[in-house]
Amino acid sequence: MPRIQIGSWANDAVNWLRDHLDWLFTLITKVLNGLYDAIHTVLAGPEPLLLAGIFAVLAWWLRGLPAAVLTFLGFALIDSVEQWGPTVESLSLVLVACLITVVVAVPLGIWAARSRLVGGALRPVLDLMQTMPAMVYLIPGILFFGLGVVPGIVATIVFSMPPAVRMTELGIRQVDEELVEAAEAFGTHPRRTLFRVQLPLALPTIMAGINQVIMLALSMVVIAGMVGGGGLGASVYNAISSVNVALGAEAGLAVVILAMYLDRMTGALNQRVSPLGRRALAKAQASLGSLKFLQWRPATSVAVVGVVVLALIAGGMGMFGKNAAQGGGNGRPISLGYVNWDEGKATTYLWKEILEERGYKPKVQALEAGPLFAGQARGDIDVQTNAWLPTTHASYWKKYKDQLEDLGAWYDKTSLEIAVPSYVKGVKTLDDLKGKAGEFGGKITGIEPGAGEMKILKDKVLKDYGLSGEYKVQESSTSSMLTELDRSVHQKKPIAVTLWSPHWAYDKYPLTKLKDPKGSFGSGDSLHLLGRKGFAKDEPEVAKWMKNFHLAEKQLTSLENDVKNAGEGHEQDGVRSWLKKNPGLVEKIAPSAHATYAKGKDAGKAPNIGYPAWDEGIATTYLWKNILEKRGYRPNIRNLDIGPMWTGLSTGQIDVETDGWLPVAQKQYWDKYQKDLVDVGPWYDKTSLEIAVPSYVKGVKTLDDLREHKDEFKGKIIGIEPGTGEMKRLKDTVAPAYGLQDFEVTSAGTSAMLAELDRAYHKHEPIAVVLWSPHWAYSKYHLTKLADPKGTWGANNQIKTLGNKSFPKKFPEFAGWLKNWKMSPEELGSLEKDIQDAGKGNENKGVEKWIDDHPGIVDKMAPVK
Amino acid sequence: MSRLQAEHLYKVFGRRPEDAVRRLEAGASRDELRAEGTTAAVIDASIEVDEGQIFVVMGLSGSGKSTLLRMLNGLLEPTAGSVRIDGQDLTSLSDKELRAVRSRKISMVFQHFALFPHRSVLENAAYGLEVQGVPRAERERRATEALELTGLKGWEKSWPDELSGGMQQRVGLARALATDADLLLMDESFSALDPLIRRDMQDQLLELQKTLKKTIVFITHDLNEAMRLGDRIAVMRDGRIVQTGSAEDILVRPANDYVASFIQDVDRSRVLTAGAVMAEVGTVLGGSTPEGGTLGTAAEFRAAAPATVDVDTPLVELFTPCSASSVPVAVTDDKGAVIGAVPAERLLAVLGEPAEQGAEQEPAAPGVPAQPAVKTLAKTAETTAESTKTTVETTKTAAETGDDEPGDGDAEGKVIAGA
Repeated sequence: MPRIQIGSWANDAVNWLRDHLDWLFTLITKVLNGLYDAIHTVLAGPEPLLLAGIFAVLAWWLRGLPAAVLTFLGFALIDSVEQWGPTVESLSLVLVACLITVVVAVPLGIWAARSRLVGGALRPVLDLMQTMPAMVYLIPGILFFGLGVVPGIVATIVFSMPPAVRMTELGIRQVDEELVEAAEAFGTHPRRTLFRVQLPLALPTIMAGINQVIMLALSMVVIAGMVGGGGLGASVYNAISSVNVALGAEAGLAVVILAMYLDRMTGALNQRVSPLGRRALAKAQASLGSLKFLQWRPATSVAVVGVVVLALIAGGMGMFGKNAAQGGGNGRPISLGYVNWDEGKATTYLWKEILEERGYKPKVQALEAGPLFAGQARGDIDVQTNAWLPTTHASYWKKYKDQLEDLGAWYDKTSLEIAVPSYVKGVKTLDDLKGKAGEFGGKITGIEPGAGEMKILKDKVLKDYGLSGEYKVQESSTSSMLTELDRSVHQKKPIAVTLWSPHWAYDKYPLTKLKDPKGSFGSGDSLHLLGRKGFAKDEPEVAKWMKNFHLAEKQLTSLENDVKNAGEGHEQDGVRSWLKKNPGLVEKIAPSAHATYAKGKDAGKAPNIGYPAWDEGIATTYLWKNILEKRGYRPNIRNLDIGPMWTGLSTGQIDVETDGWLPVAQKQYWDKYQKDLVDVGPWYDKTSLEIAVPSYVKGVKTLDDLREHKDEFKGKIIGIEPGTGEMKRLKDTVAPAYGLQDFEVTSAGTSAMLAELDRAYHKHEPIAVVLWSPHWAYSKYHLTKLADPKGTWGANNQIKTLGNKSFPKKFPEFAGWLKNWKMSPEELGSLEKDIQDAGKGNENKGVEKWIDDHPGIVDKMAPVK
Repeated sequence: MSRLQAEHLYKVFGRRPEDAVRRLEAGASRDELRAEGTTAAVIDASIEVDEGQIFVVMGLSGSGKSTLLRMLNGLLEPTAGSVRIDGQDLTSLSDKELRAVRSRKISMVFQHFALFPHRSVLENAAYGLEVQGVPRAERERRATEALELTGLKGWEKSWPDELSGGMQQRVGLARALATDADLLLMDESFSALDPLIRRDMQDQLLELQKTLKKTIVFITHDLNEAMRLGDRIAVMRDGRIVQTGSAEDILVRPANDYVASFIQDVDRSRVLTAGAVMAEVGTVLGGSTPEGGTLGTAAEFRAAAPATVDVDTPLVELFTPCSASSVPVAVTDDKGAVIGAVPAERLLAVLGEPAEQGAEQEPAAPGVPAQPAVKTLAKTAETTAESTKTTVETTKTAAETGDDEPGDGDAEGKVIAGA
């Protein structure tokens, strides 16, 4: 039998298409992407529950009240399990795919119905589209369309088109021939016959076809997720590739809810759009007795009005401008109020700066304490920054506390004191002042006579420390006190002033706060942020930031100082220059993806980083994403199955990936694609390939032991994907060397292997799995890596960073960083752990924590001049 | 002048139809062609329909009558031959012109009604007008009128599937009438209806035709229907028209054995008239009355005759008088002059012969004596419909053997018998 080279012909064909029809694929990609973005923008705009409401109105219109209620509950459930985003993405993908499918399939079906020739020619094509495994054309799909939603949409269209064509053809063919003849006999134009007779009568069948299209499209969503299509597919794919049953169940449930909704709605749509359906509906309703209201459906016009109203509300609620730069602020206004004291002004402007950075529109107002509290109680002011509690502002707090919420103290060491320059030696406490009146000219420079501090000082402190006779408290004003202080410090003269903390003077001058061991000044206040009632609910993110907000005295005083130096009217500049001296602080106060790090040379560029859903891949990719963002890049990361990822890497759809196991484990991919790739360098050396068994299996420590205990393992080794380097190595080298050839090596894939391991582990059964290090399985289970005394697994893999060959040129700075990047097992382990602790969907938080725990790591990994 | 003319129409389905036509012209038989996979549905058919006429094409299923009909309005293109409507050759028209002719000049009524299930009764009736582009208000008015004409007033808002079969076909008829096309093609239009309803519909059609004077081509497999409705009848067999003529021509002078065997189950007593079977007055004169009187002159005969009928009286009305007296029934002309006589023997002979023939399955000479047919009775139905008294058992059995729809043969026989 001669070998017919169908495979290589297909390969040549794909290459030819890629070379010659690139413009076409680009065009298709643009169109599909545009459609997807448009639909997604509309659907993702409104609040989830609002959109659920819109869906419910549609359900009411199509199927009645119970359906509407169930719809709302179903989508609310999706929102509750945090699958809303992916669901909307999937829905958008399905809608785009179905739209195009219907637009293409219905005319094709009509054509096939009218011409037997076309019908006959189409049939095998449809069979091929329906039965060819999707993965087969997904990979070429990536070559043509790149990664992302487009190949997913294309694959969905290919897969779901056949039933639409077939049902349309069938529907038109089964229209009574006598009816068509009747139309013709009255001189109807064929086109009119089609639109006025055949299509309306075929509509129920066509709608059944469209219903099938939608269901098939949904079933393709998971596969689309494997090539970076996002949505529920990505969630499901993530879940299965990391044996995350919880996420899998939730994402799967979301798919089911979406499917049922779409199925029921398109099924019912027939009753609305086709005249025959409308009649059937009317009949059914007429025959219904009581419970009619359950079946009552709003008229089309009513439903339209309902949807439009909800949509308008959705629009009003910030569908627009959702993309405002830095964070979740969306340009929402927040009014900040403060009592015009130095620390109030400084922190208020600090918050103003931070909120602006996060996309809010803060407004600042300085007020007297009375109006401030009253205004805030009315709701005019969202937040005040410097409420002195429990003492100073006690009366206001007592009066308004029902209309306010305490966002917590951000500074808790305010105090009143007497301060002296530090160069005045031997004066540390108020007691030390005694007998030194000569040195200080017998006076303590005070402030406004009416101030509380002056009163306490005169009435209490001087008495308590027996200074009444010695010192005179000189009444002046705060500003003259400070001038006096400044003058004295310049001349290095001793001076004692009434001061309080926090105060910028402490930052500007070397001062000593005199201790008050007797507590005569009383215990100090804390500085609180107060929100109006309901603020934390309206702006949970800001409230959270504020609750966590804390400044050390040093920070506050230096901030006050900078603000003061910048001068009246330029407070914010002061804040900015202060922030410059405290890099990373904004990020710390108001954590978001975008920190104030020095920008890289290539800031603004958007490298595409791919990663397989393996722990070290996830960890390092999210780490680099974080660091790149800090450096002003806009990286896109994509979770991909290993095959599509290498394909994407070779075409340049993916610029770089950090999880290349070479030279052994992923040898087959490297061999195939290396001419398009560049080896950026290894970052991790301590990998190994191995067979692992649970530690509870006693007496199996080496591969030789495994052979001895063959029966215990039922002669089975659970393998991973066939064709991977490790599996080949096992078969070709390891097994023969240890006499393991008669073991059956299953090759169900990594997820299946891990699931099997988990199952066996829980039942305490012996199991031998093909594994590698590093792997999270080692931290989850107690496993023994079987020793390989003969060294048959070969040299250890390194984990390498691999790029498309254009990568170093496109991203020279990033490539340079990667080249010098190394990670130790401890670093990698702690990073993986932090990410796992943070939980799925919060990878970045885990990374942040890890970066915080490794100060300087950003500059180490990504140095900038 | 004839409104509709078809000359030498051929319709052949299959490969290379023109070749087949040539071979048919050269004398090849239909079976020879069928062996080669081509089907000659219509072979050399020529008809001519005059204005205001009901032209019935009759034949068993597969005889090509429906194909012939569809060539008349261009739904099927003839393989050879021409169709002329008011002198205009349909085969030479473009698609667009053809559609215009269909829309304005011809309308059609279908066997299974072919009502659009997604349109109301009114919209169905207005369909032809809609195609013509008549504005909504006017077409609804005209459709309403047409529905009223067919007795469906008040059903406009209903849907086709809410109506009985007979009512549905009335909608079909209204749809055809609404367009004001004066050529009406009716394809087995009443065949799908219950016998009683069918009869109603036939009556209604004849009633309408009195005022509307449409030119109608009516296809049927039911001989009684053909005889009842047809001014002229064409009998088709195996794609060919074997005889064209009036009902009486067919009945009295069948062109061949096929027609003869076909017509044996017709209720002759209703189709044949006194004028067609009467003997000359001379054959009676010279005889005597049972009371002993002589029949010397026409006047004596007239006085003695049990009844005096005119030439158009169907035979069915002669039975009672004939059985009451041995003197023949007298036949008079318009002016009351006695022009013939129908003796009881003759009556029985005329009705009996074809039945014998059929029973013997023997080809025999046409079973009617060589009497000059004085006049055929064109509108048999008009008269028979009013006389619904007598029953003739023989016709009942005949109906059972001859009907090509065995399922309702029994019922049919009864109806004919009871009519």
